[in-house]
Amino acid sequence: MENIYSMFEVAFLRKNRWQLYFKGLGVTLQIAVFASLIGILIGTVVALMKLSRNRKGKGTVFTAIATIYIDIIRGTPSVLQLLIMWFVIMKSCSNGILVASLSFGINSGAYVAEIIRAGILAVDPGQTEAGRSLGLSSFQTLRYIVLPQAFKNALPPLCNEFITLLKETAIVGYVALADLTRVANQVSTATYEAFMPLIGAAVIYFVVIKILSTLFGILERRLRQGDSR
Amino acid sequence: MKKIVALLLAGTMAISLAACGSSSSSGEAAPAAEETEEAVEETEEAAEETEEAAEAEGPLADGVLTVGTNATFPPFEYLGDDGTPDGFDMALIKAIGEKIGVEVEIQDMEFSTLVQSIGTKIDIAIAGMTVTPERQETVDFSEPYYDAVQYVLLPVDSEIRTYEDLEGKKIAVQLGTTGNFIAEEIEGAELATYDKATDACNDLVNGRADCMIIDKNPAEVFQGKFSDKLVAVDGAQFSFEVENYAIAMPKGDTELAEKINGALQELKEDGTFDQLVEDYITNYSAE
Repeated sequence: MENIYSMFEVAFLRKNRWQLYFKGLGVTLQIAVFASLIGILIGTVVALMKLSRNRKGKGTVFTAIATIYIDIIRGTPSVLQLLIMWFVIMKSCSNGILVASLSFGINSGAYVAEIIRAGILAVDPGQTEAGRSLGLSSFQTLRYIVLPQAFKNALPPLCNEFITLLKETAIVGYVALADLTRVANQVSTATYEAFMPLIGAAVIYFVVIKILSTLFGILERRLRQGDSR
Repeated sequence: MKKIVALLLAGTMAISLAACGSSSSSGEAAPAAEETEEAVEETEEAAEETEEAAEAEGPLADGVLTVGTNATFPPFEYLGDDGTPDGFDMALIKAIGEKIGVEVEIQDMEFSTLVQSIGTKIDIAIAGMTVTPERQETVDFSEPYYDAVQYVLLPVDSEIRTYEDLEGKKIAVQLGTTGNFIAEEIEGAELATYDKATDACNDLVNGRADCMIIDKNPAEVFQGKFSDKLVAVDGAQFSFEVENYAIAMPKGDTELAEKINGALQELKEDGTFDQLVEDYITNYSAE
């Protein structure tokens, strides 16, 4: 027991190391939040592009672009995307959080696009027909009738995507950003003791994600309140 | 169609299983066979020794010495043209292995995990590793085989000159290296820790860090590679202490330590060591 306490003392209290973990958690959360915002933005646009149809009911050039984007992003590992973004595309940008957020945002966008597309397709076509019959334009129908329902359909998988994204940011250590995982690595390197820093970081991730999933659960229930009347 | 797939899967599984089996058995059997032959040929004394070695448990029991390294640290270790680790340390440990009579198997891994892995995933580590009191709490070191001097790599237009100038700067280092620990002690310094020394150097060139602290020889290699962009400054200017490279070994394994130190001594005496220094360090040229 004393042994475990001394390990804890070395890994968290000595030299005020706990501050490092908090800073690391801050970096992790910043990247995850910015990236998911970028992801939702890109994802919505790409989903609409992929669903776009010309008058003959066939896919347009936008459909093709969206499909290529989704294929490329889903067909390459996110570590490689991050390394390419850091060492090749944004070589001269030294704001690590910006580069990582962009990289993860573009990555997440592809997955979010498919989630939102599924959400839109799940809205009954009768809703669109009703909207158009009532004299709304096709944009108005989309904006006020389809998208709100689509968002509700897409919420559970979107929350899931955010949690996945949060955990996926653990690879930013590759480009020398001090996120939570990297900090745990640094501490275990400095102390030659892997157990406490790694388990500690795992516990921090778990607690944060547990809190988030509880909040998402509440949000979901709120949105469902109008369903069963 | 399903049957064909099933057949293919079964086939692959059989082959992969066979591959695992043969590689491990040949790996263990070959040195053992050699040992027996030697025992027959050589005198009784030698035979007794082999018996002892066979009885002894520990890193050398299976005739294979698993050596951890991190091949991003030229000229001591780097990936050779065939993609396997090469360099001064690799040549040295292979020569030592030959002297002791064991097969050397190199494992390329992250530098920061080397010390923790000794005794479990690897037997010993040779990776241009500096002897420090912190590391000595976990592992034992062989006799030092090389003087380590830390260098500071700076962009050509940098105004950093003294230790005080380093304070509050963004410093690129390789995670777990001596440079990492020196940088941690510098007041207000912001550390960027990389798994690969080469990545740290790239980012220094890209202007993402103010300087980089790394051992002398790799610093000179990097400086040679980016001679129009970087200068390498001797750490003595920044009053860094001189330290030594040594081989890290499991704590308390005196038998192994004696063997390795003995072999190292022999290599120094018969001139092999100096030859390796000349081949790998003096004549090293960055592509």
